[in-house]
Amino acid sequence: MVEEKRILYEHLDVPEIHTFDVFRQHDGYACFEKAVADYQPDDIAKMVMDSGLKGRGGAGFSTGLKWSFVPKDIKPCYLCCNADESEPGTFSNRYVLEKNPHLLIEGILICCYAMGIETTYVYIRGEFTLGKKRLDAAIKAAYANGYLGKNIRGTGLNVDIYTHPGAGAYICGEETGLIESLEGKRGQPRNKPPFPAVEGVFRKPTVVQNVETLCNLPFIVGNGVEWYTKMGPTYGDARFDPPKPDPNTGTKLYCISGDVNKPGVYELELGLTCAELIEVAGGLRGEQVKAVIPGGSSAPILTHYELDTRLDFTSLTLAKSMLGSGGIIVMNETRNIVDCLLNIMKFYAHESCGQCTPCRWGTPWVRDIVQRIADGNGRKSTITRPKFGIAENGRWGDTGETEDIYEDLDLLESVANNIANVDTMTWNTICVFGIAVSWPAVSYMRKFRPEFEATIREGKLTTLSVEEATVPPEENYAYQQRIVPRELE
Amino acid sequence: MAFIKLNDLEVEVEDGTNVVEAARLHGIEVPHYCYHPGLSRPANCRMCLVEPHVFFPPAGAIVPDRQLATGCTTVLRTAPPNRKLDGKYDFIVYTDSPRVKKAREDILEFLLVHHPLDCPVCDQAGECDLQDFTYRHGHDKSRYLEVKNVPPKKDLGPDVLLYSTRCIVCTRCIRFCQEVSGSNELGLIHRGSHDEIDIPRSHDGMPLQLLDNKLAGNVVDICPVGALISKDFLFKSRPWFMKQEKSVCAGCSVGCNITVEYKEDGVYRLKPRFHEEINQHWMCDDGRLGYGYVNSDDRLQLPMKRVDGEFQPTHWADALTQITEKLSEADAEKVVVIGSAQGTNEDNYVLQQFAHEVLKTEHLGLFGALPGEEHTFPQFTIEADKNPNTAGARKMLSNGTPVLEGEALWKKVSEADIVYLVSGAPERSLEAEEKAVLESVDFLIVQDVLPSEVTALADVVLPGTTFAEKDGTFTNSKGWVQRIRKTVDAPGEARIDWEIIQQLARQLGGEMNYHFAGEISLAISENVSGYAEATHQNIGDSGVKLAE
Ligand SMILES: Cc1cc2nc3c(=O)[nH]c(=O)nc-3n(C[C@H](O)[C@H](O)[C@H](O)COP(=O)(O)O)c2cc1C
Ligand code: SF4
Ligand code: SF4
Ligand code: SF4
Repeated sequence: MVEEKRILYEHLDVPEIHTFDVFRQHDGYACFEKAVADYQPDDIAKMVMDSGLKGRGGAGFSTGLKWSFVPKDIKPCYLCCNADESEPGTFSNRYVLEKNPHLLIEGILICCYAMGIETTYVYIRGEFTLGKKRLDAAIKAAYANGYLGKNIRGTGLNVDIYTHPGAGAYICGEETGLIESLEGKRGQPRNKPPFPAVEGVFRKPTVVQNVETLCNLPFIVGNGVEWYTKMGPTYGDARFDPPKPDPNTGTKLYCISGDVNKPGVYELELGLTCAELIEVAGGLRGEQVKAVIPGGSSAPILTHYELDTRLDFTSLTLAKSMLGSGGIIVMNETRNIVDCLLNIMKFYAHESCGQCTPCRWGTPWVRDIVQRIADGNGRKSTITRPKFGIAENGRWGDTGETEDIYEDLDLLESVANNIANVDTMTWNTICVFGIAVSWPAVSYMRKFRPEFEATIREGKLTTLSVEEATVPPEENYAYQQRIVPRELE
Repeated sequence: MAFIKLNDLEVEVEDGTNVVEAARLHGIEVPHYCYHPGLSRPANCRMCLVEPHVFFPPAGAIVPDRQLATGCTTVLRTAPPNRKLDGKYDFIVYTDSPRVKKAREDILEFLLVHHPLDCPVCDQAGECDLQDFTYRHGHDKSRYLEVKNVPPKKDLGPDVLLYSTRCIVCTRCIRFCQEVSGSNELGLIHRGSHDEIDIPRSHDGMPLQLLDNKLAGNVVDICPVGALISKDFLFKSRPWFMKQEKSVCAGCSVGCNITVEYKEDGVYRLKPRFHEEINQHWMCDDGRLGYGYVNSDDRLQLPMKRVDGEFQPTHWADALTQITEKLSEADAEKVVVIGSAQGTNEDNYVLQQFAHEVLKTEHLGLFGALPGEEHTFPQFTIEADKNPNTAGARKMLSNGTPVLEGEALWKKVSEADIVYLVSGAPERSLEAEEKAVLESVDFLIVQDVLPSEVTALADVVLPGTTFAEKDGTFTNSKGWVQRIRKTVDAPGEARIDWEIIQQLARQLGGEMNYHFAGEISLAISENVSGYAEATHQNIGDSGVKLAE
């Protein structure tokens, strides 16, 4: 049985931890004080790089590497804390904001010290009213106790934090959409490059970091890199010789929802498997796992054949999915995948910022196609065509058999791939929202094709048994291409 | 200069050129909607995708880049020597690879998902980028089966209508109002597939601000589809039925380059034409919509003379004979000749020649439209001088003696017996003292295009021509000499201004024998200082700048 490993959440249940005094009693701000006393800013940046910390907001990009892109000679430089947690299935930042806001402030202070930043903006999802209230109160208390403002605790550091509530748009979680929104414009992502590290808020270098990422910093500084890298697996990137270390260090706040007995946020070391995680969350509610969404609604779905996939950045990428925000949604045998896809597509069609052509008009189109299928109006042709799969030579190709043509499934796949192609990982859109749309659309349809076909044939939503509904991995194109990671000795 | 491999061509382009422009220079079309050379580049339409090729170290080879790039934001620059591709290229880009072609088809399919395709009743049909690019790069069928969005049609301002259904949300119009006019009337409302262009409105939909600035008409030009439509041109003509001629706007002393679109029965619209230093891509609405007088039914069509206080139409021979009789009897000291800042350099040069050589008078004046207001915008200025050719006319008329203007002019006129006044300024009203002075003239000859307060005082009225009916040149306030070209025929018996003057000169024994405006410009280039280069041949489509 896997144990929870509470680091970020260690004091989460301490009563009144959101107040300054209680936080101080639990060694609050000690790590920041240690950072300022014992290390130079560059040392901290190096520690973060060595710790292998990867961004927890979605992209999983190395935080240390991101910091190294920030030009040193352009001032001011800003820190933007991304607290716009709106990915369906994700709710870990919210607990930090509501229960332990001083931890975030400490993380921000360390980042500001390391990067020479004096101004921080915290972009909070508008719906987090309690979270914002608590954070605002914590900021006020920090100012009152000299942990924010001018010449912090006599160190000569100046840091100001401003909170900014979002207005309810998912796309303002995308870092450049967030920046535009923060500047008072429509929340529409920018073209990249330039990346925010070079040109961000008010066209100045900006570090955009998720709440959880920042909350890791005090522990890296406080307990050292060695302690931190012991948690989580480090793989070898086999494309390099010798394999380049690919760290998945630290803990992750996994948000588990759906058909489990004890849904909630669990802090666990990175790298445990899907099945283990379901165990931690009190086990499955229902008979059988049908599917698992591993990283928020944008992530490609995993089938019950893939429950041994390890939930870390590298393993999920190699399994053609992603850890994303760590929002895990478990579905049991009663769930209809067509219905699930419809639900998700409704969300994305509503949330597309509408800036670029493929996403603006492609996303609602995908929703409409799924809606049509779910309504029982999906189209099936009367003719057949050659079936592709594992051919005689053991490779992907023409199997010599024929298959029915489900026109709307072909259309769905084609339209989704025209927004962003999931096989080549190329997109014609400005931001990766496009791929967040086509990833679920194509993966649900490919991995649970029998259920889609049955729904079209029957003319109504039809739920098949888990075995019937799922395409076996050996017949699944995406599964075929997956590469199993190699762990460093 | 950057050395580029562009498809199969090897070309040199200026550093800083983007791929769309580089391709355009070499006759290759990279279709695009949101990109406009005069505006910022949001790269939101995704139509101009091209395929850069890059060096991929593991393979040791040049391969297509993983992602396609937008041609509008891909800027070509000279690469450092160690970064050259294939040892010589600064950049390799394909605009016609299978991937690019597929991407274009896909984007066009998306653009047409909600598009009404009401081309048969759409003003833009025939000059529509959506039609053209779909024809050249798109599919012939749609796979979209659902109901299309039908956002409402909107009245945005005095001259602009929005057919929201046709809008492809390229945001050119919004950016124009932000960057060029600086008036910020337009914005997007709603989100995603429900994006709509709109003006600020109160909660119950009442407009709080209209698209009412003096550059507003430009948004109609830059809208790549038929979403923004000019009320002035609405349902008037199919673009392909109109003829086009390159000309210059007569609305003020900026001298915006324009294209006059016309049919036999009149001028239909004016559109700005690119000139890097004068008007870039734009023109103002005063100029754009100010052509109406050309087509007016009130235009002077026959010479008129005053008989017992009333005007009577007459024929040219009669009118000219009456004038020559008066002039031949007159004392040259008491004759004043007034040229027009609305007229061409050629008109004014011939008038000056007539005055000096035939009438032997030194009293040459300058007349024209009254000054208006100057309007400045972040990237455009409308000048206060509402005449297109003040600088040129002044120069032509002053050959030798200074031109009379303002008080000096009216003082001379008050002492004169005969005044020959060429106006041509539509809606020219007279100020009290001007009127009093002109009333006191014994014999007033007025050459004009429309009845006005000036013609009302005349003894003989000669029908002249507007900028749309003649060839010639204007000199703008910055010293650019530019060509206007004849489009429609002058109404009725109206004649080209310099031809009327030449006819008078001949009847008075002068020796003048010009056949075309171009011949006059040769004479100007020989005789007027600074104009040596300003022959029609040199001026061409983009003008000649006079030495300072
Ligand atoms: C469509 C979209 C939505 C996103 N939403 C969020 C979000 O709600 N919260 C978040 O922290 N990151 C979100 N991201 C990721 C951010 O763009 C960015 O990668 C992240 O904030 C960087 O911080 P990190 O490196 O600490 O993860 C989103 C990205 C995309 C493309
Ligand atoms: S991909 Fe979608 S969300 Fe992203 S910029 Fe384009 S329209 Fe907006
Ligand atoms: S905008 Fe173009 S494609 Fe659309 S209706 Fe008008 S002419 Fe046709
Ligand atoms: S109205 Fe025309 S210019 Fe404006 S966004 Fe729509 S298509 Fe573009």
